[in-house]
Amino acid sequence: MKIEIKNIQKEFKTIGKESVSVLKDINLEMKDGEFFVLLGPSGCGKSTLLNIIAGLENPTGGQLIFDGEVVASENKSECMPPKERNVAMVFQTYALYPHLSVYENIAFPLKIAKMDKSEIDRQVRKSAEILHITNHIDSKPSELSGGERQRVAIARAIVRKPRVLLFDEPLSNLDAQLRTATRIELKKLQRELGITTVYVTHDQVEAMTLGDRVAVLKDGYVQQVDSAINLYEKPANKFVAGFIGFPNMNLFDVEVSKEQEKFYIQFEKDRFYFDPAAVEVGTKYCMGIRPADIEVTDDNENVLKGKIDTMELLGKEVLLYVSSNNMEFSIFTAKKNFKENQEINFRFDQSKIHFFKK
Amino acid sequence: MNEEKIKNLLIVLTACFMVLFSLFPFVYMVLTSINVAPDFLAKGWNLTLENYKNVLGVESLHFLDYLKNSIIISFISSVVTVFIASLAAYAITRLEMKGKIFVLLFVLGISMFPQVSMIGYLFKIMVYFGFINAYPALIFPYIAWILPLSLWILVSYFSQIPRELDKAATIDGCSKFQILFKVLFPVALPGIFSTALLSFIFAFNEFIFALILTTDYHSRTIPVGIALFEGLHGQVPWGQIMAASTVTMLPILALTLIFQRHIVGGLTKGAVKG
Amino acid sequence: MKNFIKKFESYAFVSPLLVFVALFVLIPIIGSIWTSMFRDVTFLKMKFIFLDNYGDLLRDEGFWKSLRFTLLFIAVTVPLELIIGTAFAVVLDLKIPFRGLLRACVLVPWAIPSAISAKIWELVYNYSYGLANYILLSTGLSEAPVNWIGTDIGAFTTVVVADVWKTAPFVALLVLAGLQSVPSDLRLQAKIDRANFVQTFFLITLPLLKPVLLVSLLFRTIDSLRVFDVIYVLTHGGPGGATTSVSLYAYKYFLGGDFGYGSAISVLLFLVAFVMSVFYIKVSKFQDNL
Repeated sequence: MKIEIKNIQKEFKTIGKESVSVLKDINLEMKDGEFFVLLGPSGCGKSTLLNIIAGLENPTGGQLIFDGEVVASENKSECMPPKERNVAMVFQTYALYPHLSVYENIAFPLKIAKMDKSEIDRQVRKSAEILHITNHIDSKPSELSGGERQRVAIARAIVRKPRVLLFDEPLSNLDAQLRTATRIELKKLQRELGITTVYVTHDQVEAMTLGDRVAVLKDGYVQQVDSAINLYEKPANKFVAGFIGFPNMNLFDVEVSKEQEKFYIQFEKDRFYFDPAAVEVGTKYCMGIRPADIEVTDDNENVLKGKIDTMELLGKEVLLYVSSNNMEFSIFTAKKNFKENQEINFRFDQSKIHFFKK
Repeated sequence: MNEEKIKNLLIVLTACFMVLFSLFPFVYMVLTSINVAPDFLAKGWNLTLENYKNVLGVESLHFLDYLKNSIIISFISSVVTVFIASLAAYAITRLEMKGKIFVLLFVLGISMFPQVSMIGYLFKIMVYFGFINAYPALIFPYIAWILPLSLWILVSYFSQIPRELDKAATIDGCSKFQILFKVLFPVALPGIFSTALLSFIFAFNEFIFALILTTDYHSRTIPVGIALFEGLHGQVPWGQIMAASTVTMLPILALTLIFQRHIVGGLTKGAVKG
Repeated sequence: MKNFIKKFESYAFVSPLLVFVALFVLIPIIGSIWTSMFRDVTFLKMKFIFLDNYGDLLRDEGFWKSLRFTLLFIAVTVPLELIIGTAFAVVLDLKIPFRGLLRACVLVPWAIPSAISAKIWELVYNYSYGLANYILLSTGLSEAPVNWIGTDIGAFTTVVVADVWKTAPFVALLVLAGLQSVPSDLRLQAKIDRANFVQTFFLITLPLLKPVLLVSLLFRTIDSLRVFDVIYVLTHGGPGGATTSVSLYAYKYFLGGDFGYGSAISVLLFLVAFVMSVFYIKVSKFQDNL
């Protein structure tokens, strides 16, 4: 199913306080069968957006369209209640009904829909099988491990054959190892089922590995929507650049100058020449360069000079924290005989420099 | 380690005092009920079951009527109260509503009102409706009287249930009533149970409404029945009163001992939060 | 229309509660205030007399006597309840054997109808064969039996004991809940700092219990203000009105058919309780916990 989100806004009014605008103007389109990730720091409104898609909250502006049909808008009479939308959701805390067994938990939505008993049984067993929880079918949620509970929650979500699967940070309560394993399975499961999926997370690794496309949200706006690789290689703005990728991108304010057809950036002492990209002379930019795109060199031409403050060994690579021109750079490079306080020269990979207008 | 010894001694002494303090009146009650005369302390024991036979067997004492009235009235009041209070607690903890705090505080304030300030007019109302000496005369005021306590306890239990459970249920297609009765109610079952139990005990122990709004065994409850107990022969029939008290106390005692954890939980939730 | 219903849905859930409370608490209270402005005596014609009942009340020595008794009763019982309750709570909070059983024991006085327990106390204080006099005589503490219920001081003592016995367990439970929310780290820290248990209690535990104790104090004060059952059964307000509480005083007028005057007394009591309840709600900070 295709989901269109048009100019969605959400304001929360609290008595005696100023209203808070969580979503300001959101425009997104999720294709049929797509695994779509909403990524952003906490408080960016991503969970609110998910709740609006689910029908748990109503937008205060804009439209939500499922396959051409408006299911929510600022006009409350156009808001379809969740049960009519045929969406399913998996929560961070799993939200399993503690008084029901695994079987009853999975069967719950079908029972509410007054489905035939034998049909319920068939569907529940099928879902349980897909999620490999058939052995636990008579257990209570409290007897299960975190990973097993997560599976039950997912089984309950898919049992109804929903049009959309919604995930609200479903992996954050699992330990690191299990998280990686579940991530891979989840991706596989989504491929097999082919159900349009919206997945909310604050974890960029999850977003990059799971999402066909990722929308980065901040301050109630969509910052960028793109495939994972494009977010990394072509961040649309300073926020996305800084948010995506580890170690974090180096970002600093610069001014581009030109001397005899050659573009350069003047740092406090050093000057760095580069081939002109789409930049304007005399404009203030925020320049970004990923730590891995800085090269430590023995050259003396067109380099910056700096001193290693500290370093972190990360297997074969090393992360250097270098002070240079009264600024801090982090450089990710192959391990060599680096020492603290060592003087080094380094230069930027010219094709990998990002300029963001201020 | 002298300090440790003093401390332990103090603890043991207080604990013994607690047991003695709490239970000696009941021991005295039971002893009186199985003696022929209440002067058994000085004059020596003279055991008998006559008192119990009279209380349970002699119809003109109406003890079993009082007990029946008390149980029926308290049971109905408790069930209705918990039902009404859980509806309200659901709205207060889960739905958007202006003035929730006002409702909670208003109800809390009401539970502090002296009953004597209501009985005069309540009596007139019940006379008007012809309820005097009938179950409704007590059931209606009891429900109103216990509702604040039930509401506070249930609000406290409900607010401990994670909201995501409601969300999950909403998405699974539940209506608001279904969320309340298929999810919150079963999940909060221990809480619901302690609320019902406390409500029952409150109704069962109520005195002043029952004193004024009932006139005889048709609806008189056991506390009033025992307070106004008149024996078969002239003087105060202590043996019979204590036998009746013992019989009345047994179910309450059993409930209290078996469910003390629930009762303590409910009581403290209702009175001080946090 | 659908929106309209939705908007008021939450109120619909609360309305049964509000209806019950309005019909059987608020209307009776308002009715009492209304009645208190009438000469409303059985067999006499109703007559609007505005505040005359209140005027009479101010000159009524019996009323002042009942008020003095009630205040003295509060002043004696509430502190006793708090001290005994706190001592019990401290012991119940310890990890000692039979803790559950001990807690259940303490619950029993609370769970029993006060009419029944008052009846037991009445027997305990019986002049000729009660337990109290038996103990006094057999231990030689007293030469002659004490007339408990027939003297002012004796009657006062019996009501106080019966009331403290009934309500101290409740205070114990409240304080216990408060104790259990005191972080055990704090007490452990005090132990490491070499404080003995008396110091730990007075320097660490008690200050942290202050809010709970204050709430208990107010709650018990408001509750004692309306004391009725125990006194009605135990002393009937006697001897000579010495233990008549305001509630009982009002009740006696209702019983005598003077609804106007009885209502006036009960309205005054209500006003005092009301002011204290507002204070209670303010102090207990219930709002913060919502």
